[in-house]
Amino acid sequence: MWRRWRRALAAGLARNLTTRLIILLMLVLMLITGFFDYARLVRVRERLVAQTQKDQRIFTETLALAVRQNIRRNRTTDELRELLEDILARPGLVAVVIYDPDAQIVAARLLIGFPDPVPDQAVREAMSRREAASSMLETPGGRLLRYVQPIRWPGGRTAAIEVRQTLGEMERDFRRAVRENVISRLTLLGLFVLSLVVLTRWSIGRPIRALMAGARAIGKGDLSQRIVIRRRDEIAHLAEEFNRMAENLQTAHTELVHQSEERLGLEQKVQQAQKLAAVGMLAAEVAHEMGTPLNVISGRSEVLLGTIPADHAGRRHLEVILRQVERINGIIRSLLDYTRPRRPALRPESVGAVLRRVADLLADRSRRRGVRLAVELPHDLPPVMADPDQLYQLFANLMLNALDASPEGGAIQVNAGPDPRLPVENRAGIVRGKAEGPCLAIHILDQGGGLTREQLAHVFEPFFSTKARGQGTGLGLPIVEEIVRAHRGEVEMLSAPGDGTEVIVRLPLAGTNAPADEAPVSPPAVVAQ
Amino acid sequence: MAKPSRVLVVDDDAEMRALLLDVLEKDGYEVAEATDGAQAVLALRAREFDLILIDKNMPGPSGLDLLPGLRRVCPRSQFIMMTAYGDVPSYIEAVEKGAAEFLFKPFRMEELKAAIVKALGANPAPSA
Repeated sequence: MWRRWRRALAAGLARNLTTRLIILLMLVLMLITGFFDYARLVRVRERLVAQTQKDQRIFTETLALAVRQNIRRNRTTDELRELLEDILARPGLVAVVIYDPDAQIVAARLLIGFPDPVPDQAVREAMSRREAASSMLETPGGRLLRYVQPIRWPGGRTAAIEVRQTLGEMERDFRRAVRENVISRLTLLGLFVLSLVVLTRWSIGRPIRALMAGARAIGKGDLSQRIVIRRRDEIAHLAEEFNRMAENLQTAHTELVHQSEERLGLEQKVQQAQKLAAVGMLAAEVAHEMGTPLNVISGRSEVLLGTIPADHAGRRHLEVILRQVERINGIIRSLLDYTRPRRPALRPESVGAVLRRVADLLADRSRRRGVRLAVELPHDLPPVMADPDQLYQLFANLMLNALDASPEGGAIQVNAGPDPRLPVENRAGIVRGKAEGPCLAIHILDQGGGLTREQLAHVFEPFFSTKARGQGTGLGLPIVEEIVRAHRGEVEMLSAPGDGTEVIVRLPLAGTNAPADEAPVSPPAVVAQ
Repeated sequence: MAKPSRVLVVDDDAEMRALLLDVLEKDGYEVAEATDGAQAVLALRAREFDLILIDKNMPGPSGLDLLPGLRRVCPRSQFIMMTAYGDVPSYIEAVEKGAAEFLFKPFRMEELKAAIVKALGANPAPSA
């Protein structure tokens, strides 16, 4: 308990500048008032000493008169001694001595425990000058006040009386007064410091501990931590600020989590779409390659079936062949139906927003590759008719290609405008899809090695890739083409070996076309039936 | 008896061509064949055809690429495009380029006959 308090005291004093200042000021104040008190006490003592001296002088003078009377009446030394005996009852008086003119002690009365009086210099001087003298004598028993009074001795000579009085009681009183003064002041200071510490502990220590606990909790990730302080001072303001900070942190954290979830979801969606597209293209390839032989098998079976009689045993075999062809066909159809990209849900969409999302997605990857991604689009780009998810997939594919083609330190520029950026010389190009009416053209320009004419002719074919084996699926650009076509737009790829590659996507502007959600032709499934 | 309708089959696959020839000739059509666009143009220049049955997937120019040119050479002919199942973009393009009918491989011979009859419209093939 005591140790805790001592620690709190030390901490309180060390921590709080105001507390330290207050204690210092208090100390100075006490020293000053203490000094004045001491000075006052000293003055009182001096006054008392002076009073005592005066009393002593009067007493000594009276005594001198009495002694002279006695001497004049030729009283004996014994009688003088008796006189002195009576006088010594006076409080504080420790010695009364009568010296004859030769400074020999005629009569003396002494209290034990004090040094014996001797006819010293002070006595001789008083006698020779015939002047009374007051002085102070330090002895082991305390300070003594002495008074030497010359008296006339029979025969015209001068003798002397010395009275010694102790100041012990007064000194004791003085010392006690000083001691009490010091003790009372120290007690006061102690109480003051103690109450200050208690107050500090209560008013600062507690809320600060609460703040520290809160900060620790936040440091460990518990952002729901709040601090309740029902006051209206700086600490309360601090707590308010703390709570506000925690609130902001929590909001930002939630937002971040939300964003990353969203991004993850988007990425998964794009990946899923790519995967489906890959399977779909494979299935389409299979359907293309197998369509003709299957048709020959089924057609020949049908022809044969028409030539043999109804009761012939061979009919059963042919019917099995036809059913099996139909079954294979069904498998291919269901695979194609499953993987066929959904029709885009077209609506006015901002290309800038989509591109910035794509750039955001690729920011880490481009930084790692040392490629600068510069999306320079005006904010007032007109909206296009598009499906935002497919648009996202479209530009993600194109920008990934650009990123893969870019050398370290290169840049990818994304901007809008009607004309190609690559210079005409040495440039070759290929266009897929057909855009009609007013369009928005987005350019994605990289500083890669570019493509040869031969490569360029094949880039939109499925499973064609210029990337290293295992890196490209050869489906990115076919997907791009499919999406662009579904949007009734076009994609142009320009390349100049050594200068880089430029992809231009042209998408119809919103509000310029016929209702975009309506397919221009009815779905073909009807025809096949 | 009306003059039999003339049909040109354009497909790079010999077996497919043979099948179509067998089936259509048996149905009373007068059928010629071509393996690619060049042969098709030659055949069309030599004489007129009522119907051209053309495959989309061929080496060199595809059926879709050939369609506008062949239509110019033979404006009165009807065109039926053949392609693999699910090739919706080609279907749309073919319709836009003026193909009368469209067949997804593999198709039944009844489908083929129905499409031909529909394409020829007012000028149907004579029954066998």
